[in-house]
Amino acid sequence: MSRRGGSSVGCAAVVLGALAGAGRPAGAQHVTIGPQAALVDYREVSSGLRYSGSGFGGIATARYRKLSAAASVVRLSLDPTKGSTASVGYKATEFDLWLSYDVASYASLEVGVIRRTADPEFEAQSLGAVRVGARSTYDLGPGATIAFRANYLAAPKFSGGGSASFSLDLGLGLDLLVAGRLHGVVDYTFERVNRKTNPGGTGEIPAPIQQSLARVGLAIGF
Amino acid sequence: MRLPRRTVVLALLATVATGAPGGEARAQAIQNATLSRANQAYDNLDYRQALSFSRAALRERLSGAERARAYEVLGFSYAALDSILKAVDAFKQVVLIDPERQLDPNRVSPKAYSAFDVALRQVLLVRQLRVDSTSFVGGKGALPVRFMVTQPARVVTRAIGGGGGGAQANFLVDSGAWNGQVNLSWPARLPNGDPVPAGTYTLVVDARLGQNSFTASQPVRITHGSVDTLPHLTSLPGYQYLPETEIPAPSWRPLGLAFLYTGGALIGTVGLESGSLGASSKRELGVVGGAALLTGFIMTLRKPAPRPAEGNILYNRLLKEQIARRNADIAKENVTRRQQVQLSIVPLSKSGAPR
Repeated sequence: MSRRGGSSVGCAAVVLGALAGAGRPAGAQHVTIGPQAALVDYREVSSGLRYSGSGFGGIATARYRKLSAAASVVRLSLDPTKGSTASVGYKATEFDLWLSYDVASYASLEVGVIRRTADPEFEAQSLGAVRVGARSTYDLGPGATIAFRANYLAAPKFSGGGSASFSLDLGLGLDLLVAGRLHGVVDYTFERVNRKTNPGGTGEIPAPIQQSLARVGLAIGF
Repeated sequence: MRLPRRTVVLALLATVATGAPGGEARAQAIQNATLSRANQAYDNLDYRQALSFSRAALRERLSGAERARAYEVLGFSYAALDSILKAVDAFKQVVLIDPERQLDPNRVSPKAYSAFDVALRQVLLVRQLRVDSTSFVGGKGALPVRFMVTQPARVVTRAIGGGGGGAQANFLVDSGAWNGQVNLSWPARLPNGDPVPAGTYTLVVDARLGQNSFTASQPVRITHGSVDTLPHLTSLPGYQYLPETEIPAPSWRPLGLAFLYTGGALIGTVGLESGSLGASSKRELGVVGGAALLTGFIMTLRKPAPRPAEGNILYNRLLKEQIARRNADIAKENVTRRQQVQLSIVPLSKSGAPR
């Protein structure tokens, strides 16, 4: 699982590097990179199994004409919340990649991947899926952009097995030019996965997953 | 001798009012004593004496002007004595000596004037050859030439001279049958279209009628100069560039958009929450949504960023294209002008002589 995660990060780096380098002479090129802090709320199977925590990571974005890409990696430490049936916490690493193509000045289509791993491995479900969706972006004012996105998580894979016919990821993002090349980047993601398992062939039972993740960070533009 | 009263009055008018036959200025120019006596006799209305003295003076050695004056006294005296044919003959001699001689019909007697007019029509003359100072671009103008021919005649007008190359150039200006006032124009061009070289030219008007001929001439000086070029345009009169950006009016749109997007995220979160997992923490959405709303509020209060004014940009582009097009035309015109020559033509002192 962790090897897979490493290959995904490498793939994202290649995509971002290609976008950043492809249009070096073009004025439309824009690259940002910076650190992030994260807050997370995670629930699985039932309302009794819930965690919350925080973490840190980084984000990188690149834009070339109508193409844009964003990749984020966060390392999260989750602990059982008050009233949770879980006894111990765990650490998770989440990697997200979005590739977008602008179809209008305020709308773009996007694809990407999500990869989340848990450590210890069986304390929570690890997840891998492909994103397909759309994003709407508007300028609030000079240097301030707000975005809303909805992604369908296709072909999800879980470390504990099972399948999910309906998986959705909603997002709210804000990019604010603070000063010069310094951007403030804020992002919210709500993820709902209708996972079902069939332990021992006795029939499918629901084992849903729900996560809220907020990322707040700074980025330097190049 | 007793003269008719009307004749005396007319002669007096002619003498006093016009001074044509008499006058102090004329008297002072006369050196010949006999002619002076003739003039004096005419002034005293003694036309017989005036005729006698004039004829006597003509037998003496006289200058051209004196000879013309003697014939003029004869003409006026004959006219006063109603000898019109003799007056005409005398006036013919006057205009042959001085072709430019003019009588003012308001200041001489009608008899004398009509005799003078008849005399003019009976003699082939080219009179009042006039050339005005002018300036024009070579090939785009002409020198106006005007003169009067007193009888129907074949008139050949030439420009003779040149720019100091030694050989005298001879340009035909016009050849035709003319009578009365004639107006011609000379483009001052060589057969190949180039302007004639700078220098002094003589416009020669040669009129022929049978055995009679008369030639008048007018020297002119032609100088070459460069044609003024046109300055390039930096703007069009009456048209100014417009600002290409405009500041939109303040609006609540940023805050509204922040509410819309944050509300969408909230509704989506609540709608997607699983009943079996319970309501999720809104801490994460609160952080991000709060930041979005705060940013929207700040952007609402801020002065809006200038945005491109498409109409003005298009207008400025059209204006630039128009100025560029005009300047291209000006550059082309200036290339042509630099190859052109400005001709300035000035008439010099005039002369004319019967041949």
